[in-house]
This record gives sequence, structure tokens and C-alpha cells, in this order.
Amino acid sequence: MKILLVGMNHRTAPVEVRERFAVDDPLPWLVKLVAAPEIEEAVLISTCNRVEVIAAAPNLDAGRHRLRSFFHRDLGQGAPLVHQQSENAVLYEHVGDDAVRHLFRVSASIDSLVVGEPQILGQVKEAYRLAAEAGLCGPLLNRLFASAFASAKRVRSETQIASRPVSVARVAVDLARQIFETLEDKRALLVGAGEMSEAALVALRGAGLAGVAVANRTRERAAELAARFGATAHGLDELPQLLAASDVVLTSIGADRPLLDAPLFEAALRMRRRRPIFAIDLGVPRNIDPAVNQLDDVYLYDVDDLGGVAEANAEERRRETVRAEAIVQEEVERWGGWLSALQAVPTIQRLRARAESIRQSELDKVTAKLGLDEAQQRGVEALTRAVVNKLLHAPVSRLREQAERDDGLAYLEAAKVLFALDDPTAPGADADAGAKPGGSEPSS
Amino acid sequence: MVIELFHITAALYLLAGLAGISAIALPGARFGRATRWLLAAGALLHGVAFARLHTLPHPPQLTDLPSAVSLAAWLAVIVSLLLLRGGRLEGLAVLVSPLAFLGVFYESFALYATVPAAAAGAGSWPHLHVILASAGLALLGVAGLAGALFLAEDRALKSKRIPALRRGLPSLEALDRVNAMTIATGFPLLTCGVIAGMLWTQGETGHLFVGGAHAVWSVIAWAIYLALVVARFAAGWRGREAAACAALGFAFLLFVVIGVGAIA
Repeated sequence: MKILLVGMNHRTAPVEVRERFAVDDPLPWLVKLVAAPEIEEAVLISTCNRVEVIAAAPNLDAGRHRLRSFFHRDLGQGAPLVHQQSENAVLYEHVGDDAVRHLFRVSASIDSLVVGEPQILGQVKEAYRLAAEAGLCGPLLNRLFASAFASAKRVRSETQIASRPVSVARVAVDLARQIFETLEDKRALLVGAGEMSEAALVALRGAGLAGVAVANRTRERAAELAARFGATAHGLDELPQLLAASDVVLTSIGADRPLLDAPLFEAALRMRRRRPIFAIDLGVPRNIDPAVNQLDDVYLYDVDDLGGVAEANAEERRRETVRAEAIVQEEVERWGGWLSALQAVPTIQRLRARAESIRQSELDKVTAKLGLDEAQQRGVEALTRAVVNKLLHAPVSRLREQAERDDGLAYLEAAKVLFALDDPTAPGADADAGAKPGGSEPSS
Repeated sequence: MVIELFHITAALYLLAGLAGISAIALPGARFGRATRWLLAAGALLHGVAFARLHTLPHPPQLTDLPSAVSLAAWLAVIVSLLLLRGGRLEGLAVLVSPLAFLGVFYESFALYATVPAAAAGAGSWPHLHVILASAGLALLGVAGLAGALFLAEDRALKSKRIPALRRGLPSLEALDRVNAMTIATGFPLLTCGVIAGMLWTQGETGHLFVGGAHAVWSVIAWAIYLALVVARFAAGWRGREAAACAALGFAFLLFVVIGVGAIA
């Protein structure tokens, strides 16, 4: 059985291509895919940045052909698999360890547009859950996805890939948490409006901010914004009182000169008994006089400061990616070991069946010849079983161990020759039919 | 055996400090948990060592400087553990652990050279003086360390040196809260400790105040803290000013207890 992965992502296909292949409910498509004999197990991951199918196929070429055709005919409804402008192929294919590595990288968010973003692991888990509950995953994909989730967990706990925010909005939340113990009793003031300040406000609200006031040049515009954020609307003439009541101040208003200066902040600090203020100035030109940062208990960050932090964090994430890749490689090797051990299972089962057949036939002969009573029969039965188990214990253990090594196949072949497992005329060979290959998994 | 217990305690405090640094620098909650457990194990063993030491046939006096310092270190660790229950304060444990290590190390080092039991310093007033003053020192010590950490973080935030800020560090607001809480409880204990010391002196000399170096400097330290308490709770000082005063106050208190105490 081969592991195959075929798909497209933000690097190989632009959004106008990806949206033609994306599906909301992957289940009907998966059922259709697995109904074909070329594919035995499959999971379809469809997010805004990628559409991928990972499958287990008995035959590599047939499986690969079936998956390409699934993308072209079924998901894409005949859409071309080459990007018309760039003429690049939109689909990529990975086989065996490469497919495993790709899935592990995706789950660990190394392959994401924003490296370290946390959503992808949940999306992969959901895709797997859907397929598993519909019975479309067998032992191979069940084990593969369990390993992918374990690998992603290791990456998140052993590296800082996800610990540093890379958007201005998230940086603002992080800094707010460095200043305030909790945001749940804090109030924010939004002066003016802009894409970035609104994103920061949404992120702060998501972090638990208690209330928001919006101030603008015209009360109508303020009311419009306030309605969107569930806030109160004010004019700019109320800024001194609003400032005194606000723990976080976000500004993004068109003005030639700073609107908020140090004396205004000093007065506000006195009114609020010097409780700290976190001021985020996203206006260009700046809305808050930089001298405000000289005041005790005010922490002023402008757009360059926040952008600088975001960029430094992105750089740190890139450095952490190297460590994350090393963890993924370890997990891929561990998976390879498990898969190799799986190959030993049929040989071990045949060896055990052969030994059991010989034991049973010799026991039958002795029992008939000696005329043993029931108690004696039980004793001899136990004795022979113990002898066989003890004799087989060492070779079976060694076969399992060696099967995980690169040269493991040679040991399996040697076992077949030494115990004549491929010889139908050897004693006990009639028992081989009862030893079903691939019926169980190796212990991990 | 008692000395070995103190050594193991010192090692646990040192490990707790290292775990605390890891909790700040590395992702995941496991180092935070390790910090708590190591500190708790250290505090438990410290208590056992202390109890065993003072139930020996000829124990050192509680009024001996090493014993008093070790007691204060133990109480500071217990205060830190209580604070750690309330939130993200591993950064504080990073500062408390090395001081606790030094306190324990000082006592175990002194035990090698201890001449058994001088009769002076026995009785309830001396013991009450040491216990109350050590508790005050422990709480004001935590306040001072919280103040020092506040100043470092405030500086990093102001200068936008973000790599110096790690997620595991306590927020400024949390440090200010710890500062206020420990000063509010530590100062009354220190005051009671000073009063107990005066009553001890009166019992021995017939005078409440005899004017030795230790007594004079202790009263100065107490007066400094009185000013800090008034500034903080009556005049509304908080944040950077309160943090700086708590850190300086603790430095002065250490000078009085250890520097002047050793000379005296």
C-alpha cells in the first residue's frame, strides 16, 4: 500500500484557481473517490489556502492517475490543471515519505501562508474526523494522521513558531497583555478610523476588552463606527474626558498635526490616578505627539514601532522553522520505522502459523500413540505451546526490530528462506492459508 | 543530616530559578509547572530542615543572623508560591529563587562554624522579634523584587526593546498589584518586629532604645518604609515611582539586616 498526496496551495495556484476546486462538504466527494478500486483510504483537506487529498493506494501509478482525474473531472468540473497565465502546473504530487512529510509540515503550520498560524491544525483534524467517521480511513491513514497530530503538537510545544504574533493587530494585543494583567476590565478609545486601527480594535475586543468609545470629527461618522463595534459615539471635543476613562487609545485620523499631546495625557493621568495608558498611534502623519512616550505610565507605539515588532517576530518565526523542520524529519523517520515494521507482520504471522501447525500435528500423533488421559493431554499441550513460544520469541522480536531498519527487508527474506515459508511442501505449510497477511499492526 | 537537608533545599531553589528562566524563554506550560513544584519542594524541605535544626539538643539561636536570614528566605518563597497560584508570575520566582538559595546557603555555611547555644537571645520577645521582622523582610523583599522587575519591563516597553519582553514575564499591572499587596502586609509586620525588638531590649537593659548601630539603622529603614507607605497609599503613588521606591527600600533593608547586622 502506498501513501499518495495530490493537491494545490497558495504557492502553486492563485485564489481564482483554488476556489474552483475548493469544496464545503468533502464527504460526498470522498465517498465517490474511495468507491474506485484504485484508492482504499482517503482524506480531503479543503481550506482557503489549499485543497489536498491524501490517500492510500494499492498501486502507485493507478492511484496517482485516479487522484489527478479526481481533481480535474470531479472537483474542478473539467477545470485545467495548468495555470493559464503562468502555464505552471497547479497540482503537486508527493509519494511515500515525501507525502508524509508534506502532511506533517501542513499540520505543523510550516507550509502555511502565515507560518505558525494556529487554524490549520484544527482544519486538518476536522478533515480527518469527517473521513474517519465515514469509514474512509483504514489502519494506514488512521496511524498517519495520529502521527501528524503528534508531530504538530511537538512543533508547537518545542519551538516558538507560533508564540510571536506577526500582524500589527496581534502585536497590539500582545503588548496590551504585557501592560495589563487582564483586558476584561479595560476600556478602549478609538479616535478616527482606519483599516489597521479597526483590525487592532477587533483583536483587542477578542482578547476580552470591556468597552469601547469612538470619537470622530463628526458625530454621524462616530455613530456609524460605534454601531459596528457596539461602542458609544463622541465628538473630538470630549477627548480629555474620554482619555481619562480609557486604558487603551487607538488613533487613526487624518490631521496635519498631532491631535493628542503630552499635557492632554498628563491631565488624563492625573484624573485616572496614574493608571497606565497604552496608546497606539496608527495615523500618518502621527496623531499623538511622540513626547507623550516620555511620560511615566504612558506606553506609546506608532505604526512603525508595531510594524517593526511584527517584522522581528516574523523573522524569529522563520528561524524557528528550521527547528520545526528537524522535528518533522524525526517524526517522518519514526513513521517510516513503523511502516517498515508493518511489512514484517505477514512473515511473522506465517512463521507462527507454521510452528503452530507442526506443534498441533506432532501433538495429535503423540496423544493417539500414548493414549493420554485428559489431564495429561492438557499438560503436554501446555508444554509444547511453551516450547514453541520460547523458541519463536527471539526470532520474532529480532524480525520486528530489524524490519524498522533500512536493511530490514533482507532479514525478512532470510526468515522466509530459513523457515521455508515460501515452500508449499514444507511441514506445516498447509497452515499458511490461515495466516492472513496484514491483519494486525506492529506494536509501536 | 541537617546540613545535607539545607544543601538539597539550596539546590532545589537554584533549580526553581533555572526552571523559571526557562518558563519565560521557552514555549509551553511545563517549565512554569516545574518552577512551582521545585519551589514548593524546596520550601517543604526548608521547613523540615529548619524544624530539625531547632529541635537538636544544642540548636543555634533563632536570633543568629544566618537563622534569621534563612527564615526570611523561607517565608519569601512561601509568599512567592502563594502569588504564583494567582497568575503568570514565574518572572518573580526567577528573582526570589536565587535570593532564597543564598539565604539557605548562608545558614548551612554558618552551621559548619556554629558554636552551640549562647544563652543570650533566648525567650519569647527575641523570637517574636525575629519571626515578625523576617516575615516583614520576606514580604518587603518580594515587593522590592517585583519593583525591580517592573522597572526592567517598563524600560523595555518604553524603549521598544521588544526581544527583552517575553510572554512569560508578568504584566506591569500584576507587578504593581504584587508591590502594593506585599508592602501593605509587610510594613505592619516589620513595624511589629521593630516593636518586639524594642521590648526585648527593654527586658534586657531597662530601656526601649539603647542606640546601637543595628537599632538606629533599623529605625531609619522603618522610617523609609513609612514614607513609602504614605506615598503609595495616601498620595497615590503607583507604577514606576512606587516600584523604584520598593526596590531601593529593599536594598536599604538588606544593607541594614545583613550589612549592619553582620558588623553588629
